Amino acid sequence: MSSNTPSSSAGGVGSADSAAPRRNSKRPKYSKFTQQELPACKPILTPRWVISAFMLVSIVFIPIGVVSLFASRDVVEIIDRYETECVPENLRNNKVSFIQSDANKTCTRKLRVKKLMKQPIYVYYQLDNFYQNHRRYVKSRSDSQLKDNSSWNDVSSCKPEDMSNGQAIVPCGLIAWSLFNDTYNFSLNNQQLEVNKRGISWKSDRDSKFGNDVFPRNFQNGTLIGGKTLDPTVPLSKQEDLIVWMRTAALPTFRKLYGKIERDLQANETIHVTLENNYNTYSFNGKKKLVLSTTSWLGGKNDFLGIAYLTVGGLCFFLALSFTVVYLLKPRRLGDPSYLSWNRNPGGH
Amino acid sequence: MDSESIETFYSAESALSSSSRRSNFSIRSKASGRNSIREVNFGDLGSKAVRYGSRGADSETYSLNMSQKEINDEDARLVHINDPVQTNERFEFSGNSIRTGKYSILTFLPRNLFEQFHRVAYIYFLVIAVLNQLPQLAVFGRGVSILPLAFVLLVTAVKDAYEDYRRHRSDRIENNRLASVLVNDQFQQKKWKNIEVGEIIKIYANETIPCDMVLFSTSDPTGVAYVQTINLDGESNLKTRYAKQETLVKIPEKDKLDGLIKCEKPNRNIYGFQANMEVDGKRLSLGPSNIILRGCELKNTAWAVGVAVYAGRETKVMLNSSGAPSKRSRLETHMNLEIIFLSLFLIALCTVVSVCAAVWLRRHRDELDYLPFYRRKNFSDDGEENYNYSGWGLEICFTFLMSVIVFQVMIPISLYISMELVRVGQAYFMVRDTQMYDESSNSRFQCRALNINEDLGQIKYVFSDKTGTLTENKMEFQCASIWGVDYSGGKAISLDQKDGYFVKVDGKVLRPKMKVKTDPELLQLARNGKETEEGSHVHDFFLALAACNTIVPLIIDSHDPNVKLIDYQGESPDEQALVYAAASYGFMLIERTSGHIMIDIQGERRRFNVLGLHEFDSDRKRMSVILGFPDKSVKVFVKGADTSMFSVVDRYMNKNVIRTTEAHLYSYSSLGLRTLVVGMRDLSTSEFEEWHSAFEVASTALMGRASLLRKVASNIENNLCILGASGIEDKLQQGVPEAIESLRTAGIKVWVLTGDKQETAISIGYSSKLLTSKMTQIIINSRSKESCRKSLEDAVIMSKKLTTISDTTNDTGGTSRAGLTPAALIIDGTSLVYILDSELEESLFQLACDCSVVLCCRVAPLQKAGIVALVKKRTADMTLAIGDGANDVSMIQMADVGVGISGQEGRQAVMASDFAMGQFRFLVPLLLVHGHWNYQRMGYMVLYNFYRNAVFVLVLFWYVLFTCFSLTTAITEWSSVLYSIIYTSLPTIVIGILDKDLSRRSLLKYPQLYGAGQRQECYNKKLFWITMIDTLWQSAVAFFIPLLAYWSSTIDASSIGDLWTLAVVILVNLHLAMDVMRWNWLTHAAIWGSIIATFICVIIIDSLPFLVGYWAIFEIAKTGLFWLCLLAIIVAALIPRFVVKVLYQLYVPSDVQIVRETEKFQTQTESGAVEIELSSILDTPRR
Repeated sequence: MSSNTPSSSAGGVGSADSAAPRRNSKRPKYSKFTQQELPACKPILTPRWVISAFMLVSIVFIPIGVVSLFASRDVVEIIDRYETECVPENLRNNKVSFIQSDANKTCTRKLRVKKLMKQPIYVYYQLDNFYQNHRRYVKSRSDSQLKDNSSWNDVSSCKPEDMSNGQAIVPCGLIAWSLFNDTYNFSLNNQQLEVNKRGISWKSDRDSKFGNDVFPRNFQNGTLIGGKTLDPTVPLSKQEDLIVWMRTAALPTFRKLYGKIERDLQANETIHVTLENNYNTYSFNGKKKLVLSTTSWLGGKNDFLGIAYLTVGGLCFFLALSFTVVYLLKPRRLGDPSYLSWNRNPGGH
Repeated sequence: MDSESIETFYSAESALSSSSRRSNFSIRSKASGRNSIREVNFGDLGSKAVRYGSRGADSETYSLNMSQKEINDEDARLVHINDPVQTNERFEFSGNSIRTGKYSILTFLPRNLFEQFHRVAYIYFLVIAVLNQLPQLAVFGRGVSILPLAFVLLVTAVKDAYEDYRRHRSDRIENNRLASVLVNDQFQQKKWKNIEVGEIIKIYANETIPCDMVLFSTSDPTGVAYVQTINLDGESNLKTRYAKQETLVKIPEKDKLDGLIKCEKPNRNIYGFQANMEVDGKRLSLGPSNIILRGCELKNTAWAVGVAVYAGRETKVMLNSSGAPSKRSRLETHMNLEIIFLSLFLIALCTVVSVCAAVWLRRHRDELDYLPFYRRKNFSDDGEENYNYSGWGLEICFTFLMSVIVFQVMIPISLYISMELVRVGQAYFMVRDTQMYDESSNSRFQCRALNINEDLGQIKYVFSDKTGTLTENKMEFQCASIWGVDYSGGKAISLDQKDGYFVKVDGKVLRPKMKVKTDPELLQLARNGKETEEGSHVHDFFLALAACNTIVPLIIDSHDPNVKLIDYQGESPDEQALVYAAASYGFMLIERTSGHIMIDIQGERRRFNVLGLHEFDSDRKRMSVILGFPDKSVKVFVKGADTSMFSVVDRYMNKNVIRTTEAHLYSYSSLGLRTLVVGMRDLSTSEFEEWHSAFEVASTALMGRASLLRKVASNIENNLCILGASGIEDKLQQGVPEAIESLRTAGIKVWVLTGDKQETAISIGYSSKLLTSKMTQIIINSRSKESCRKSLEDAVIMSKKLTTISDTTNDTGGTSRAGLTPAALIIDGTSLVYILDSELEESLFQLACDCSVVLCCRVAPLQKAGIVALVKKRTADMTLAIGDGANDVSMIQMADVGVGISGQEGRQAVMASDFAMGQFRFLVPLLLVHGHWNYQRMGYMVLYNFYRNAVFVLVLFWYVLFTCFSLTTAITEWSSVLYSIIYTSLPTIVIGILDKDLSRRSLLKYPQLYGAGQRQECYNKKLFWITMIDTLWQSAVAFFIPLLAYWSSTIDASSIGDLWTLAVVILVNLHLAMDVMRWNWLTHAAIWGSIIATFICVIIIDSLPFLVGYWAIFEIAKTGLFWLCLLAIIVAALIPRFVVKVLYQLYVPSDVQIVRETEKFQTQTESGAVEIELSSILDTPRR
């Protein structure tokens, strides 16, 4: 109340900057930040920018697409679907009962190498219509049990494959229980083809997820056998088939690595495969395929990405062109105030 | 003379009259029912003025009845003076310790949680978290599912706890302050918290009053005490409080004080108090002027003694401490509709999933038992039984609920928190804006409501008060008409009178603090004394100005030890101006006590006895003082509004003087001056005696005191002889015309609602450029409903004629007005009485919409609210009300956005407002700059948040279609929880606070850009649906490119999940980056930082060996396919949006877009010109 407020007529003297710093002044401190005036870049989509952006994308994408397509084409792949052929013809009406019976399930297949296949040649089995990503399925495992021998009893999450004959199962759960158990033997010109089954799983899994002191116990002892049995003397960290299987696939059609053939296969060679068709995919109309494939930097044979890149690149090229044309035909001067809505239709004329 | 000037003039001179002015306030709080006031105090007689519609007459009788009611015993509180033991016998009165903290340590958790769960969104998430705990539905792990809700609750709880801690701390400090309390006939220091009702307390100068007390005695022999109520209502001037004569002489230490005070129950009306006191067998009545309230400070009084009547939480200040009003923003209301759409969409997704699951289960029902990935039967030990399968129907039901859990983020919980954070950030910048800082009142912009920031960008109607809002409310005496002669020469302070008038006292110079320009001729006349007839009239006139008021002179030191300044403290600026003017002409008020005043007349000190004072009330619209002259003659001086004065003037005396004075008044008011008429009358002894006895009776009456006093006043205020009139300039605030011009260019309709009379209002309208000479004025002054109807009909026809002319030239509404004759509607309060709340409202609204300016004069506070309601009810447009006085409170609370001016007239407007600022012109940067930004930011943020969460949910949804509809998520549950907490939340908040589409300069240069908000360009249904379609495309690209690229490969769920996580996060962040308009380092940090943070989080999650996805990110990142997928997803997903955006910007550019380009390409050339244009609105003062 007793502040020397200048009378209003004198107010004009002190402008904002020259005002002496008054005591207790609440004037906000000036800074670029508080005044929202931080130095900033203000990009504007000018036609030149837009066209160059589209050109850039097409210049990057088209070559990548071409390279990917070539990489995919370079991959040589032999796929053999065998789940029907490996059932004797007379039993094909009831495949499920065949696969559940004790009948001999050995089956031989001939694979012809169409093109030179450079080593390493990966051997995969491919399952179709097998939902390894089903909620009930993926939950049915016990990671602590796999890792640590002391918690072998930790099977609570493994139902319905948690206990057998009153004893905990190691490895428990539906995933381990349904371990794929077809086996393949390859021979070339009556000579056994070595399939290297070591190192087919992730090193990180072998080292940290599956313990080297955890041994299979009470496995596949129940009434219902789901798949492969495991050698109880080999620790889980060495059971690579299991490790591969336990990395559940993301999609209902998937491949799993079976092994590697570490020699070249010449074109027109014929490989004889002796396979044990044990795994029951018939109950859900699943397909089984045996796949021999080389690999490229891009992985397996899949043209999709190359085509996608070419499409996007081509589209961008087209857009760049059409924007150029449109821009040349109907340009608009950027920032021209006469386009402002209140300038476009002046009030009185 | 006009009602408003009179109202401010006499405002709250003593609490008695002030309560009449504030009566709308007290009635309102009564109506709101929080703390009902049982007795409407005397002052409520004024309530007639604040009613609108036809109920005025009822309220008069109503309030009379109320005021005549005795305080019933059951409604009263009995306070035994100096006997706290007996007073508090029944333990019904609270002690003086206060607790503003909401929680104690024990109650914090339950109460805080209870309060937080008032939000529907939280309950939704709680229900989902609970659902997830059921074993059949457990989609996420226990911890994960609770995490988001827990996080939000925790953040809010920590914030609340901190605030509460601060409240507790200040409570502790407050409770432990000391006061002198009479204990065993001796004053002792006692802590505030131990003070009890009934105790006698002594307060010394500059001390804060610890509780509400009735004054007993003060250091002043007449029993006056001055208090400053700044903590209570923000008014910094001093208010006078009186001790009763009967208690004055008692010395608390010696005389045994006892007695009984019977007062009303605690209530929150700070301007009302009613009680009676029995002392020494006499019954005295107490009013609001006898009580001093907690929180006030004692000033200019050495000590005061009083008895505590209300303590602690029952004090008026504590009862009044309520939070800011809560309003809901328009955008948020619209948003809720879209939330419903999203909920429907969510339900649709869940239905699709459960129907598909049902079909799948049905088709495979025979195989389920043995299906390796389903295994319905459990064969392990004791026979076959169903494992985790509850039948077809229940499974579908579970699937549905599970999918709700999985897709829960479709409803963006984080949006609510982000919006709050963004609003806090926006408020921070608004408060810190140096261009909205008012130098003269040293006040910053204030954000009192935090949830309607974005409404500032969509205002269509501004309702403005005039006095104190458009004008400064710093009154300056300009001219006077004395005895029919006009003296208006005082245009400058000439050299010889530079120091103004002063008197010497004890060798020291005493001078008024403010100098007033004087008219040399009048000055000369005043100095010559009253020898001539002219001189005697001038003498009487200035004596009236100096005496007839409630100003308190305070002597303060100045820099020069020989000069003392005299500062006139009073509640009405008009009165201050008049007293300063009188002082400049040599009639200096030096001392005022309740019994006498000391006036220094041309160096000669004269003492006048104040025999009686009739304070202002809004019915009489005048005040009077009865002075006993040293020569024993008695005169009554009256001062008031012209209408009320001319009705009590003796018409047959001095007809010429009356006529010329009326002419002068007319010319003054057409200059925009506020006028007051002064009159006087000699009282004969018999007249005086008669008045005196009546006055005594009335002022000690217990019932209906106010109306009795009013009657007494009316009896004496008649047959006056007119002395003259004064003209006071109410200066326009700086930059008002420019601000109004800007607002109107922006397409905002400015309506001025004022209590002033028509001529003043119109002249202010012209000087503020609200009205221009081009406009056709439609004036409605009607005295009956029928004439109202007729004039409205005529006016509508007239405006139709005008608008049909304009329609041919103008199809965009009110934005372009050049070349046509806009109409201005001027309507007065009397006509509004007949129009509001009747069927005529509709045609008034039609008419008002056609007019580009609406000016309502002589409107009462509730009529102001009625007019706002008229517009608010009939349109979806946003309304803003701005005002500074208590009479604007109802309007401010009625409007969508209420702005208070923290100016001269106290703080009630500010307390009721959503935003408060120092000057009217700050409305321009507030609306055009901050409003525009806030709206644009918030609109974009809401859309973006919908998009962001929907993309994620859709990616989850697509995957569900490939997992037998079993709701597996490839994306780890941790990622899906962290998605809206860490991965994507920060950039949208930073952008919501910092991004600017246009610079401040452009927004001020082209006010039309404000139309973007009015047309809802940043958030509307079309944009919502476009965004949703874009969302669908983007999610499809993000999902299907990896799906096809990895089809029939060895990919495992965790790896592809990581790819999807990263793809979606990068995608939504780049989407945001594409729309950012200003990249500063914070924006860069937030966007790129979030992407990096996501990578880090994914790496951390994949480094935990107990999770399924251990090491997956490292395995997949080794392959080229991963990176190619990422690149393809981002480019392919963003192309459509980019193309549409480019096409829109290049070929259908919005105004904002064009100006952005202008900003970029033509900054240098035009900046100079803009500077000049804007300078008046912005910082540098115009005059």
